[in-house]
Amino acid sequence: MKRAVTITMSALLAAGLMSGCVDKTERIDMHNDKGDQVMGLDYRDFDEAASKAIQSMLKSGALDKKNGDRYVLAISRVTNDTMQHIDTDQLIKKIRVELLRSGKVVVTTAVSANGAEDAMSMQARELRGNDEFNQNTVQKKGTLVAPDMSLSGKILQRNIAMDDGKQQVEYYFMLTLTEIKTGLAWWEGESVIGKRGSGKSVSW
Amino acid sequence: MKNLILALILALTLGGCASKSYVKVVDNSVEKDVSIEDIKERVNRDSGLKELQVMGENKTDEYLKLRYRVVWFDKEGFEIESIGSKWAELPVYKNAHFTIHVVSPSSKAVDYRLFIDR
Repeated sequence: MKRAVTITMSALLAAGLMSGCVDKTERIDMHNDKGDQVMGLDYRDFDEAASKAIQSMLKSGALDKKNGDRYVLAISRVTNDTMQHIDTDQLIKKIRVELLRSGKVVVTTAVSANGAEDAMSMQARELRGNDEFNQNTVQKKGTLVAPDMSLSGKILQRNIAMDDGKQQVEYYFMLTLTEIKTGLAWWEGESVIGKRGSGKSVSW
Repeated sequence: MKNLILALILALTLGGCASKSYVKVVDNSVEKDVSIEDIKERVNRDSGLKELQVMGENKTDEYLKLRYRVVWFDKEGFEIESIGSKWAELPVYKNAHFTIHVVSPSSKAVDYRLFIDR
C-alpha cells in the first residue's frame, strides 16, 4: 500500500513538472516573424516569391492594355515539382489578389487548366429552359468572357548533399504569362530560394 | 503687402498639399551605416503606376542583410493593402551602393512610406 502511494505520488509529481516544461502554443506574428527557417517551403517563401513575381510583371509592361482596360487571365498548369505536398495556389492566389488590386487584370474562374475553378458559371446556364426559374434572370448565351492571357509555371526543388554533411535545398519558382491569341510569352519570371541546414532535416 | 499676403496663402495651400512620402531607416543600429542618397519617383505613362527608386550606400566594411517594406496611400491618405507592405530582403554589399526599385500596387497610390530595417 505504502509502495503504491509512493509510486502514485511520484507519477503525479513528474506529470506536474513536465507540464511546466511543455512548449505553449503561440500565434505566429505573420507581419514580423522572427522564427527559425525551415527546410521546406513556408508562407514566408510564398510571400517572397509572389511579391517578386508581381513586381516583375507590373514593371515589365506586359499587363498594360492599350486602351487601359483589364486583361482577362486564365490560370493554366502550375506544376508542383517538389517533394512536398503543397498546393500551388499558395503562390498563385497571392499573385491573383495583387493583380486584381492593380486594376490590370481580372481572373476568369470559368476556364482553367484543371476545368472551371467555379463550376457555377456553367451550372447556372443549365437552368435555361427550366420552367422553375425566371428565364429573364438566367444568363444568356454568349455572355461569358474568354481569357486573353494565361499564367502557367512550375515550382521546382533540388536537393544537394554538401561535403560537411549539411544539405542544401533550392526552390525555383518559374512563371510564364502567355498571350492566348498568339501563344507568345510576354512575361517570364524566375526566383530562387535557397536553404541550407542539417543533413538530417527533411524537406517534405 | 498684397504680394506678401499672396505668398503666405500660397505657402499655406501648398503646405497642405505637401507629399506625405518618405524613406526611413527604422533600425537605430544601422542608421549610421546606411545613407539614403537619392529618391526618384515617376508615374509610368503606360501603366499609370507610380514607380519609386531609392539609392543608398552601405558605408561599412561589412556585408549587410537589410530588409525593406513599402506602404502605399491613396490621395485621401488611406493605406492601400498590398503584399509589398511585407518585409522584403535587401542584400547590401560592403562599401557599395544599393538600389530599391518598386512599383505601386495600384494607380490610386500617390504617397508612400518606405522603411529600411536590419
